[in-house]
Amino acid sequence: MHRLTGADRLVALVIIALAAIGFLILVGPVLIVLVTSFTSSRALRFPPPGLTFRWYLELFDPVRSAQIHVAALNSLLVATLTAISATALATGAALAVARTRAGWARFAEGAFLAPLVLPGIAFGLASLMFFSWLHQPPSLLLLVAGHTMIATPFALRTVGASAAGMDAALLESSAVLGASPWRTFRRVVLPLIMPGVAAGAFLSFVSSLDNVPVSLFLSSAQTDMLPIRLWGMMETALDVRVAAASGVLVTGAFVLLLVMDRAVGLTRRMSV
Amino acid sequence: MDGVRVRYGQTLAVRDVTLSVAPSEILALLGPSGCGKTTLLRTIAGFIRAEAGRVLVDGAGIDHLPPGKRGVGIVFQSYALFPHMTAAQNVAYGLEARGRPKAEIIRRVEAALAAVRMDAFGARRPGALSGGQQQRIALARALAIEPSILLLDEPFAALDRSLRLDLQLEIKRIQRRFGVTCVLVTHDQDEAMSMADRMAVMRGGEVEQVGPPAEVYDSPATAFVAGFVGTTNRLHGRVEAREGAAYRVRLDVGATVTAESPRGFAAGDRVLLCARPEQLALRPAEDADPAAWPARLRLSMPLGPALIHDVEAGTAELKLHQSRHGPPPPPGPVRVALLPGARPSLFPASLSPEGDSA
Repeated sequence: MHRLTGADRLVALVIIALAAIGFLILVGPVLIVLVTSFTSSRALRFPPPGLTFRWYLELFDPVRSAQIHVAALNSLLVATLTAISATALATGAALAVARTRAGWARFAEGAFLAPLVLPGIAFGLASLMFFSWLHQPPSLLLLVAGHTMIATPFALRTVGASAAGMDAALLESSAVLGASPWRTFRRVVLPLIMPGVAAGAFLSFVSSLDNVPVSLFLSSAQTDMLPIRLWGMMETALDVRVAAASGVLVTGAFVLLLVMDRAVGLTRRMSV
Repeated sequence: MDGVRVRYGQTLAVRDVTLSVAPSEILALLGPSGCGKTTLLRTIAGFIRAEAGRVLVDGAGIDHLPPGKRGVGIVFQSYALFPHMTAAQNVAYGLEARGRPKAEIIRRVEAALAAVRMDAFGARRPGALSGGQQQRIALARALAIEPSILLLDEPFAALDRSLRLDLQLEIKRIQRRFGVTCVLVTHDQDEAMSMADRMAVMRGGEVEQVGPPAEVYDSPATAFVAGFVGTTNRLHGRVEAREGAAYRVRLDVGATVTAESPRGFAAGDRVLLCARPEQLALRPAEDADPAAWPARLRLSMPLGPALIHDVEAGTAELKLHQSRHGPPPPPGPVRVALLPGARPSLFPASLSPEGDSA
């Protein structure tokens, strides 16, 4: 048997401590928000004096939280459309880049990923100026366009990873067997990159759902978005419903993640 | 193939190759990596466009046709089976793409799986099959569309040696039964020898020799072919005189031998004599025959029914192949001579510098 020396133990302890700190930093604030959302007090304070469901009931009250509901539906609609358009764009781009070894492909890949490092606030301002120069009134479609810009790099990363792992001989086999490019895409490529596409759609959806900088510039009173509305509620009244809404969002994202993992994990097992 | 030329950027991968394959024949493209054999295969399949020259099937050019309309089937080294489909779905893929009726697809998938003796594995996914089984499925998938040409790209490279011979025999048997014309790309000379009706030995984008394996082995056209197909012993020497169709050659190792050659040499020309291991014989050290040269036996190694002798003669290293009877001779001084009736090849010495790597 291998015996642990004192140094080994120290290293193990340090690693565990770092992991614990990381866990605390990442998960701790979320837990605080979740606990606070059940507070019986009218103030956003931690720890709560008592626990109730009243803020959740109030959040789901169709009359008192009508504005939140409108904003939430807007956000969900924009996030869904963003996920679809970003994933479609990313799939096309990832396949094109994966299929060629030419220098322009490497350059294009870098360009596609650029929005990841572009400051969101700068991009939000730029898109507002761009759309007003085009004389476009604020609309949900503009929000979808702006969010797609932000979300596509996320999808490109995951789809690109799936596409890069695909044997080019599979495409050639399909072509020799008489399949059209569209048939090859539908029957061979898409099933094989599905885990990446699903993960990309999920990431795009989430990044659109909680996007603030672009929504801040592109939304209006008619196209209110959930994060903007929640921020407004925080500024005016420190409303505990914000914590309840956060609780709903966190739970929703978590459930979606589990579902995705089941579905994608399953496809991955099937494709072995 | 008529004067096919393929260029990658600045490099010519295939230089004006003209080759023909007879119906129902297996032609092997044999050569070291980078010799252009795979490029040639991919040009036939339609993945690559030739810069010059034409690919013809039954006299009709197919250069303008996409891969799926050329009537070719291909088996890749990686098999390239679709991992998310069952074996039967893989085999059915080409038939579905061609829009065949369902009943016909079912019938032909069953027939193709039966032909490769994989009928019991149709419902399995490729991941649940061994390498040899995957290869059979890949073959069934390629044959199911009834191609006029079957292309095999290093199909045995990923298989265990013990499995290779079985599958080579099986593929040859299936190929005979389907009567399909076959082009096999390989860098393994044994594979080319055992599978092919004819082989084309390629180097640097050019075909050095085309012919039946036995002919290529017995009378290689170049020193490179002699070295690449089979094992060869290279002995440098100088032509002393012409004797009818043969030349008397003074070897640098210290012997005078006669060898026939279709190539013309003048007295005094430097030549390279290539002799197969089975064309040489060990003689006792005290043998005084002027056609035998002194050497030192370093090691003898049994190989099945044969003995391989590792012999050093001056700067030349020789390999001898003899049938084994009795215990191997002890290492030490010996003499080496050409067997009576052996027909080694003679090449001009100056034209074969690169052949040394083979």
